[in-house]
Amino acid sequence: MTFFEIAFYFFSAVLVIAATMVVTIRNPVKSALFLVLAFFSAACVWITLEAEFLAIVLVLVYVGAVMVLFLFVVMMLDIDLAEMRAGFTRYLPIGGIIAALLVAEIALVMHQSFLPADYLNPTPQGVEYSNTRELGEQIYTHYVYAFEIAAFILLVAIIAAIALTMRRRPNNKYINPGEQVKVKREDRLRIVKMPSDKPIDLSPVESPSSNEETS
Amino acid sequence: MLENYLPILLFLAVGLGVGAIAISAGKVLAPNKPSEEKLSPYECGFEAFEDSRMKFDVRYYLVAILFIIFDLEIAFLFPWAIVLDEIGVFGFWAMMLFLGVLVVGFIYEWKKGALEWE
Amino acid sequence: MNLVSLKTAMALPEIFLAAMASLILILGLFLKESSRDKACYWLSLFTLVATALLVLNGFSSNSVIAFNGLFISDPMGALLKIAVCLISTTVFTYTRQYNQDRDIFKSEYYVLGLFSVTGMMVMISASHLLSLYLGLELMSLCLYAMIAFYRDDKLAVESAMKYFVLGALASSILLYGMSLIYGLTGSLELSVISSTLSTIDQGNLALALAVVFVVVSLAFKLGVVPFHMWVPDVYQGAPTSTTAFMGSVPKIAAFAIIMRLLVGGLGELHDMWQQMLIILAILSVGIGNIIAIAQDNLKRMLAYSTISHMGFFLFGILSGAETGYSASLLYVIVYAAMSAASFGVILCLASEGNEFDKLSDLAGLSKRNPGLAFLLLVLMLSMSGIPPTAGFFAKLSVIQALVDAQLLWVAVTAVILAVIGAFYYLRIIKLAYFDDPVEGHSAPVTVRTDSKAALTVNVLLMVAILPWIGSLIDICNDVISNFGS
Repeated sequence: MTFFEIAFYFFSAVLVIAATMVVTIRNPVKSALFLVLAFFSAACVWITLEAEFLAIVLVLVYVGAVMVLFLFVVMMLDIDLAEMRAGFTRYLPIGGIIAALLVAEIALVMHQSFLPADYLNPTPQGVEYSNTRELGEQIYTHYVYAFEIAAFILLVAIIAAIALTMRRRPNNKYINPGEQVKVKREDRLRIVKMPSDKPIDLSPVESPSSNEETS
Repeated sequence: MLENYLPILLFLAVGLGVGAIAISAGKVLAPNKPSEEKLSPYECGFEAFEDSRMKFDVRYYLVAILFIIFDLEIAFLFPWAIVLDEIGVFGFWAMMLFLGVLVVGFIYEWKKGALEWE
Repeated sequence: MNLVSLKTAMALPEIFLAAMASLILILGLFLKESSRDKACYWLSLFTLVATALLVLNGFSSNSVIAFNGLFISDPMGALLKIAVCLISTTVFTYTRQYNQDRDIFKSEYYVLGLFSVTGMMVMISASHLLSLYLGLELMSLCLYAMIAFYRDDKLAVESAMKYFVLGALASSILLYGMSLIYGLTGSLELSVISSTLSTIDQGNLALALAVVFVVVSLAFKLGVVPFHMWVPDVYQGAPTSTTAFMGSVPKIAAFAIIMRLLVGGLGELHDMWQQMLIILAILSVGIGNIIAIAQDNLKRMLAYSTISHMGFFLFGILSGAETGYSASLLYVIVYAAMSAASFGVILCLASEGNEFDKLSDLAGLSKRNPGLAFLLLVLMLSMSGIPPTAGFFAKLSVIQALVDAQLLWVAVTAVILAVIGAFYYLRIIKLAYFDDPVEGHSAPVTVRTDSKAALTVNVLLMVAILPWIGSLIDICNDVISNFGS
């Protein structure tokens, strides 16, 4: 067993353990943290398989963005643990059967080494090989059609996110700092000339607002 | 190719080691005398009034999703930047079209006020 | 990089559609509030019709591969694209009043609809697993959002959630199947996959697993039994305007993905997937038709009817011959038109605060609006496959294909189950013509002129007795005989 094979099996073992912990641990925050660990070990496994760009994207997008945002929500959110686990024993048998079936199917496939012989032993690439470079040469030229469709999928994601979650709150007590800074003296203050020796008017004040204007 | 990642693996090992040593040293060396009073939750000297967890404003998710979408876009920029001189003008404009479509989305979210936290 | 191999002009309709959708999105931001929604609505209709014309204009009877093997332009694709564009146009017309009443008459509804149509067109002309998958995702992502448009309605949000989670699951199953196919054949291009499969051992277990995964995910997306659980909930929960859209046009795209992937890519493994499709098809026609009888919600009943129709259309595919494929093609186009028109009737009848989706709402419709009642009559006759409607010819050609393929017992089962299904369609006719209106719901119903016009055209041109059904069948036969050549 070479050193890289040992690394591969080590990270795979960490991945499997972390994934098991994600679904079995009680505390959702810890579960999210184990998911981060699972993503991270998956990235390491991919690196040992020479898919460095995928690994970097996994760390960048999933660990760096998705999971951090998710973790934040899980920490703050009002989750009733007892309610979440209520159906666990009820669903365990059927879930377990399906999982066992999937594992059996994959094992059958893997057992029957189905790939052509030259697929099984790819030669390791040299030091100067860059997986990212290879991908770059393909994505923007050969697969340009798929690349542009991906742009439209992202655009639709933006539209959908905004259309589904945006709400206007007209009665929100929100202060716009920009407006605040722009305020001039004239907007807030009015100087009213008052004769100093005017006789006191004893009749009721006609409009209540006249008092405020002078203050 | 994998040789390039050896330093990172070493770095990982050292990081793990430092973390493990720091935590276990704290466990072993620090005096630890827990009592019921010490462990009970309190808020400014009072018993806790309510659970610290709460309902979350949906606007947080909106900002989060928009951030992730543009984060994904960045992921596409990396390989493009590396091979720009090989894929030439065609590759350049392919990326410009991609960015143009996302700019349409950006104009949309800006005008809609999705980036404002009112 | 050889730019000639791109042949960008082949995808002109798709490019036009996507560009116009982006333009409408931006216009919706800058136009004045009063004219905005109306302008976006008319512009979307124009875009769809113009796209159909562009497809017609670029029609050629031979297949051309473009975009380095990711895109194929062939007669079948052209026919499907024109059908998608025209049926979407009619659906958009029906939705107008409904959306206006419920305050979802926004430019976003139409923009998402247009992007969804773009996704379907990408799927229709995909000759590569990558473009097939991306088109599918573009289409479904828009649909998820359109279902949740009623975001204060619990049922709508719940159904969007269900559809999203199950759709994501089906996509991942599809991807797993695709990855196995890629591992076995070493290519993502469907034509290469097809030619490689003929050289490798077909008793291979991994190959069987790949086919199972692909068929299961397609069954999920089609909503055939036993992968149908989401269909009734989503049809009922979604705003009717969205149900009308997702209940009609995506079925045409589903036909395309089955033709491209199963027939075009995995055609060599026909014996393998035929068995699975027989089970799926018989189960869905049977269970769909029987459960539909028990429904009292019109949208839910139509959902079960969809399940049975999707099963029926699989009968044509599984026969594995050109006659079968062209029968399925005819069936799916006729079904999409019928489904659009049926939901169109509900949309026309729905008013502010009344969804009009109970069966009892239909009672005495002939007295309240004779015109609509007549259209409903024609539609239900066609849905149940009673001659001389288009639905009859569609069903007939599918049965014919089954008989030709020596699958006599399947054909007999299909006919028996279709007869069971006729019951609940005829019940609607009875409700509309022979029952008295429910107390308090006897006022005449008025319908907008443009919806009525579109509905009439839709029913009379595409569903009722078609003098040109013969030419439609000929066109279907023609495009299928050109498929894969």
